[in-house]
Formats: sequence, structure tokens, C-alpha cells
Amino acid sequence: MAKKRKHEEASAEAKKKDDSALERPKRTILGWKNGQNEGQRPASGFMNKEKVLITCSRRIIYSRYRHLMLNVISLLPHCKKESKLESKEIKGATINELVELRNCTYCLFFECRKQKDLYLWMARSPNGPSVKFLVNAVYTMEELKLTGNHLKGSRPILTFSSNFDKEPRWMLIKEMITQIFGTPKNHRKAKPFLDHIFAFSIVDDHIWFRNFQVSIPHNETDKVDRGGLDKMTLIEVGPRFCLNPIKIFGGSFGGPTLYANPLYISPNLIRAMEKRKKGGRYVQKVKAKTRRKMHELENPLEPDEFAPLWKE
Amino acid sequence: MNYEEESEEIPHGFDNISDEEMNSESESEELSLSEPSKNAVNNKEGLLEKLEDIAWPNNLEWIQKLTVVYDQAEEIDVNDDLSRELAFYNQALNGARQASEKLQFMGTPFLRPPDFYAEMVKSDTHMLKIKSRLLSEKKKIDEAEERKKARESKKLAKQVQSQKLKERAKHKKEEIESVKKWRKQRQQSGFVKGKDEEIDFGHGGNSFQRSKKKRPGVSPSDRGGGFKGKDLSKKRAFRESKFGHGGHKGLKKLNTAETTNDLRDFNKGGARQDRKKRKR
Repeated sequence: MAKKRKHEEASAEAKKKDDSALERPKRTILGWKNGQNEGQRPASGFMNKEKVLITCSRRIIYSRYRHLMLNVISLLPHCKKESKLESKEIKGATINELVELRNCTYCLFFECRKQKDLYLWMARSPNGPSVKFLVNAVYTMEELKLTGNHLKGSRPILTFSSNFDKEPRWMLIKEMITQIFGTPKNHRKAKPFLDHIFAFSIVDDHIWFRNFQVSIPHNETDKVDRGGLDKMTLIEVGPRFCLNPIKIFGGSFGGPTLYANPLYISPNLIRAMEKRKKGGRYVQKVKAKTRRKMHELENPLEPDEFAPLWKE
Repeated sequence: MNYEEESEEIPHGFDNISDEEMNSESESEELSLSEPSKNAVNNKEGLLEKLEDIAWPNNLEWIQKLTVVYDQAEEIDVNDDLSRELAFYNQALNGARQASEKLQFMGTPFLRPPDFYAEMVKSDTHMLKIKSRLLSEKKKIDEAEERKKARESKKLAKQVQSQKLKERAKHKKEEIESVKKWRKQRQQSGFVKGKDEEIDFGHGGNSFQRSKKKRPGVSPSDRGGGFKGKDLSKKRAFRESKFGHGGHKGLKKLNTAETTNDLRDFNKGGARQDRKKRKR
């Protein structure tokens, strides 16, 4: 890397020197380099250099959440994978340190609890913000009913539903998602073509994620097809998941709470409620029985007049 | 660290459920789900500030971001899987169209040429699995359809068969009737030989002729009915006529008048053999 960077700088200097002279295209291994590619940086000097660290907590093994994480890793060529962390560790600055150590700007942390519940942290390091989601409705790419396929490492198109722009929290989340899920242009691991699309949409205050392969019928010779837009079809590739935002923090993995979802109920509580309901059924039954008994004792049956009539 | 444990929080209005409220518990649960808890935070200024902090510059080229916004017209019913997925599909399709239009306008190549081979997200073995699953599903459907068709055709065949039987019965009846008629006519005319005799039996009398059965001059043990020898060699034909070809062997083993009278095979050894037997 270092070598490459030096080389680039040198070339830039050289460019400045012979500005007046007609620039000769640079020679590469495969042919002549176009002038276009050189001018890829916009005037502002901005370049997308986001890198995402993806890790998970221990004990994610027994669920298919690990597969979800692996799928996400395969979708993001600009990510770095890190080995599992003890989930207690994240309460400290360990994970922040780790992100810094790996030269990343974002972190996706898959936290699995009780082998049932998956929480996803999206955090920008070093100084925030971070969002904690509960992940629902998980389907991995391995599922056989999803028939699509696309290049590994091609840049995705991101589509957002319009209700992402309605509230500050959604706007913030949208920005984070674009920076995390969008592959930087000219990333060294990225492939040059665009053949899939990520759909993010908010339904019922949850963010739903879908990944589709874009298939456009096109001629072999023509790289950019003219009439095929109407015939465009999408085939789902997977994975699918649904994110329920729980909290947004000011810092990375901590800091002041900027938003807390009022409608969120933890899955633990839901399970507890269900259990309580089941327990309640028995109590109710017992109660009904005693009530009936009391009622019978209070209102005894009148002796039947005609009972002795049939005895003879 | 200001990290907070959310899972231990209990939303407002849940812990006051007592035994008396057991019947209305499901209601109260719904209530707690729909009613916002009081410790909710929504610091809009802080959120916007953070957004400004992390946001990319505004004048960024679209090709850097590749984002498309889709305006959802109607509300989506979350619990209706089909409509929900359709909405997502439409959103993605719309996004893909917009994006590819923009890319075309910019003139950047974005379609994968068919001869560009590279590593895919799903491996070939996985795709093979998917394919085999699709095939097996298709096969299942086809088989079910075939079975259905066979059932229907069976039904139809039954009907046709019954129709045929009816027709045959009718035909037979008609023929018998015609014969009776003819007899009557003959009786009335006092058995006069004349042109009445050559009565038409409807089918030129052919219906009474036995077709292939027992042609004259063929032995009763001839299984082929004398028909066999035409295409066969002489030897084969003889054997065929003698031993038969398939069918019952019973007739062949029966005695006929000739065989009973033929005593050639009896008492071959004569008296000598008898004596041997006695010696033993």
C-alpha cells in the first residue's frame, strides 16, 4: 500500500511539472490509462474511504445469525472481519480500540444473546454516533428459495424509501447506512459493474433490508443497453433482515442517548409475558373451580318433588 | 461508559397487571405495545448535529453514493407478506431503473458483459443446489398434473366403455329381432322358396360366420389354428402345429380317438422286461 501511495504522489507531482506540455497517457500493464480515470477525485478532494469492521459476540455459533454476518461480509468488499469478542468486553473501550487498530471508520457489531436474540450495533468511531438495532425476520443467503446471484464485490445501488427523510433519527440512520453499505468507488476489491441493488425501506417503524440482482437483457457487444430498461427484472439474492432501532447514542458504543424507541419492548419481556399468560391460565382455572364450588354451596338444589314417584 | 442495558427496562403500565385483570391481559399487552413509554428520548437537535458531523459533502457526485429515493405512495400492511414483498420489489425495481438511466446518461459501463467471469456471491455448488431444487419442484408439479390427467382419462375411458357395451347390446338385440322377423315372414309365406330366402341379415350374413376359429382340416391340438405356418420355416411350422405356441397345453394332452387306439407305445420291452422286474 505504502509503495502505491508514494507512487501516486510522485505521479501527481510530475503532472504539475509538465502541465503545459501535452500529457502523455500513462502506461499500465493492460494498456493505456485514460485521462478520465486520473480525474476521479472531485474538486473538493473528497474521497470515500469508509472501512467497516465487522465482528460478533461469542456464542453466535448456534444460530444462523453467524451466517447472516458472513453474508454481510461477502456483500461488503470494504469491510474487515474480526474474530469474536466476549460480549462483556464491549462495555469498555475495547471495541473502539479495535476499530482504531484496524484503521476502520465504522463498526458493525453483531451481538447475540441467549442464542435467540440478535442485536446489531452500527457505530461510527471514534466519536459517534452509534445505533443499536434489534434484528428480526432473518433469512440468510443460503436459503434455497432465493435464486439470484451477483458478482462478489460489485458496488450496490442503494434505494431508500422516502420516509427516511421525514425525521432526524431516520435521516441520521440513512446517512450511516449509505456510508456503511455503499462500497467506495474504485475500491481495490470492488468489481467494475453494478448488478445488484439494496433496498432499505421503513415499514411499521422497522427498517427492512432486501438485496436484489438486477438483470437487464443486453447484447453481448453493447455494454450499455438502450431498450432493455423496460424488460428489467429483479431476482432476490438475500439475505433478508429487519432492523428495529432501539437507541441512538451520541458516542461510539456509548455516550449520551439521543433517541430511545418508545415502542420497543425487549424480546425477553415478550417471552416473559407469554409465560405469565400461560401461568395465568392455570390460576384462572383453579379460581373458576372454587367459585363454582362456593356458588353450589350457597344455592343448594331444591329437593325434587317427583323423585319418589318413580321408585315404586 | 454510559452504556445502558435496555433489555431490563420494563415499559410503563406492565407491572400493574394483577390477577383480577387476567381476562383483559391480552388487551393490556397490546396497550403497552402501542403506548409510548415515558422514558423515551428524542433529541432532534442532537441527532441533526451528529448528522452534520458525519455527513459527506453536499456537492458530492452521485456516482460516489449511488443512492436513490423511492416515494412510497400508500401504506404497506406489514403482516401481509405478499404485498409487503411486492412493495419492496417495486421500490428496488424503480431504484434500479432510475440508477441505470443515470448511469447510461453518464455513459459509464455498468452492465456485466457475458464473458466477464469473476467470483460470485453464491458459489457454483450452491447455485447447483438451487437449480436442482427448482427442477425437483417442477418435476413434482408435472407429476401431479400427469396423475390428474390420468385420473380424468380413466373416468372418460369408463364412460366410453359403458357406451360401447350398450351399443353392442343394442346391436345384438336388433339382430335377434331381425332374425325373428325373417322367421315370421317365412312362416307366413309357407316356407316358399323364393327371393324371400335370400334375406338380408343386415350385414350380409357375415356376422354369423366364425372368423378364425377351428378351420376345417386343422387338428384340434393345433394352437395356431393352421394360420401359423405361413411365414415360418417348414420345420418350425410343424413344431408349432404340434406343440403349440403359448396358450393352454391342456388340449394337447387330451386323448383323441386316434391316440387311444394306437397301442404302439405300450409294452415296449415285452415279457423280458417283466421278468427282470420280478427278479428284483
